[in-house]
Amino acid sequence: MREVAALAGLLRAAGLVVGITLLIFLFVRVVPGDVVDLVGIEGGLTDAMKEEMRQELGLNQSLGQQFVLWVGQLAQGDFGLSIRYHRPVADLIARALPTTLQLAALSFTIGLVLGVGAAVAAVTWPRSVWPSVVQALNVWSIAVPTFCAGLLLIFVFVLWLGWMPLLGNLWLASIILGVDVAGQLTKPLHEDLKETLNATFVKTARAKGIRPILVIWRHVLPNSLSVLLSLSGLVLAGLVGGTITMELLFGLPGLGKLALDSVLGRDYPAIQAVAVILAVSVVMVNALVDLLARLIDPRLS
Amino acid sequence: MSVSTVRRGVRRPGFSLSLVLPVGFVALVVAAAVIGPQLVGVDPLAQNLLSRNEGPSAAFPLGTDHLGRDVLARLIVGARLSLWTGFLGLFAALLIGGVLGLIATMVRGPFELAFFGAVDLVRAMPGVLLALLLVVALGAGIGPVALALGITFAPFFAHVARATYRREHGMTYVTAARTFGASERWILSFHILPNISGAFVTMAAIILPRCIVTESVLSFLGLGVEPDTPTWGRMIAQAARFLERNPTAVLAPVLALSLFTLSLTLVGDRLRARFDPWRLVGSRS
Repeated sequence: MREVAALAGLLRAAGLVVGITLLIFLFVRVVPGDVVDLVGIEGGLTDAMKEEMRQELGLNQSLGQQFVLWVGQLAQGDFGLSIRYHRPVADLIARALPTTLQLAALSFTIGLVLGVGAAVAAVTWPRSVWPSVVQALNVWSIAVPTFCAGLLLIFVFVLWLGWMPLLGNLWLASIILGVDVAGQLTKPLHEDLKETLNATFVKTARAKGIRPILVIWRHVLPNSLSVLLSLSGLVLAGLVGGTITMELLFGLPGLGKLALDSVLGRDYPAIQAVAVILAVSVVMVNALVDLLARLIDPRLS
Repeated sequence: MSVSTVRRGVRRPGFSLSLVLPVGFVALVVAAAVIGPQLVGVDPLAQNLLSRNEGPSAAFPLGTDHLGRDVLARLIVGARLSLWTGFLGLFAALLIGGVLGLIATMVRGPFELAFFGAVDLVRAMPGVLLALLLVVALGAGIGPVALALGITFAPFFAHVARATYRREHGMTYVTAARTFGASERWILSFHILPNISGAFVTMAAIILPRCIVTESVLSFLGLGVEPDTPTWGRMIAQAARFLERNPTAVLAPVLALSLFTLSLTLVGDRLRARFDPWRLVGSRS
């Protein structure tokens, strides 16, 4: 049964990847006027030259043929040429990727430590301040948009106190996103931990006289590992949006900034490529996380 | 103790001081949005180029922005625009996700498959990225942005629709109604809808602040509503470049937005406790 479920999950992910690629393609093609018109306005091309360019780019073919052509190129790692920078989109992405990966990894680590720490502390000392910390983190992440938090912290730490620089401040950006991640993780995790606390095996462990902290670390927390994994997959999707605003705010040259610049500059090949990379990696990570969760938690199959 | 309390066997959260502030703030913003623009009498778009980036004064209680526009007037008009866009987005999401989701679940067959396939697809996309692409495809303005928000958040309502409809459909009272000869439409409107509306209210309370926030994020990124539409996000985006010289013009909309979504969330939590008894009972959900 487990193999069947895993296979179904992979098939579903594959279907989503195909669907998302088609969706992104259609979104961008829906926009009136094509790439050639845009270049034509800037470069003063004649109609004949435009026609030639369309022929070259394959824009004369039907939408279906264009899609197949585009996907074929994508599969070979050819993301097309950026209209704005006149360079292969793959180059732009290769340059932007490390920044975004750093930002995402750092934010996620901060969020994981803070979120799991708060949730574990809250079940270990239920009468302390920790349950309120869990609550506060959760409400903060729902209510305060990351770009507002970013502006507030920039105002306090950069402009008012003058403690740190603004541009390229990876740490401040990661802390803001990390707190947001922690808020999304900690509440559901806390709920799950509390539920496990009522289970009979926990009572047995306690009755045997195992120290309360060990009960939580060895018996309760491992039970929530699959929940934590699934949550992490969800959080990752939110992190994509967060990196876009943070990269804009702190002038970090990452994928989000590239996506935004391409959207504002109507650089369609770049928009398509970046959107596909971001969306497909989120789907694949989620599929992987599902698979892992099934592997470590037999209750899920 | 009222009868309903006994029947449900759970304590309903009562009135508390911690609820007064959020409710008060939400009421203030809603009042500002509804009657504020008429009261202010200052044109939020009027530029006063001689007094740019000024701090608070008697003439401009919250100062002016980089074009000499009254920040308070813009904040109040912004309340109306942000709220309006958020509500339109919520309405669109409810229509697309909730109504179509209910219909799809009822008719079953290929329509259900296709609809929930599309829902899965939309849900798998990172939210802000999806909204960004939708705005690219749909264009600028309050209408397109609301539609983009609607599509982005529709999956939440679609899943509520399917889950609650299926849950209620299997209940004895529905079977009883059918035994008495009630039509499917009658059962839906008079038996199932009243029982699942609470779940929709709950979801709406969660989604409304997210709609408002997403709109502001889009505006902040320079997409979404037209440049001269002072939603809060747009105000923040325009003033952010002058944060050092003129912090009030940024901090006023930032605080307004954060406090408003915070208050909405706290009120929404209460609504959830009030309208979603299943959640309280726990084992049933």
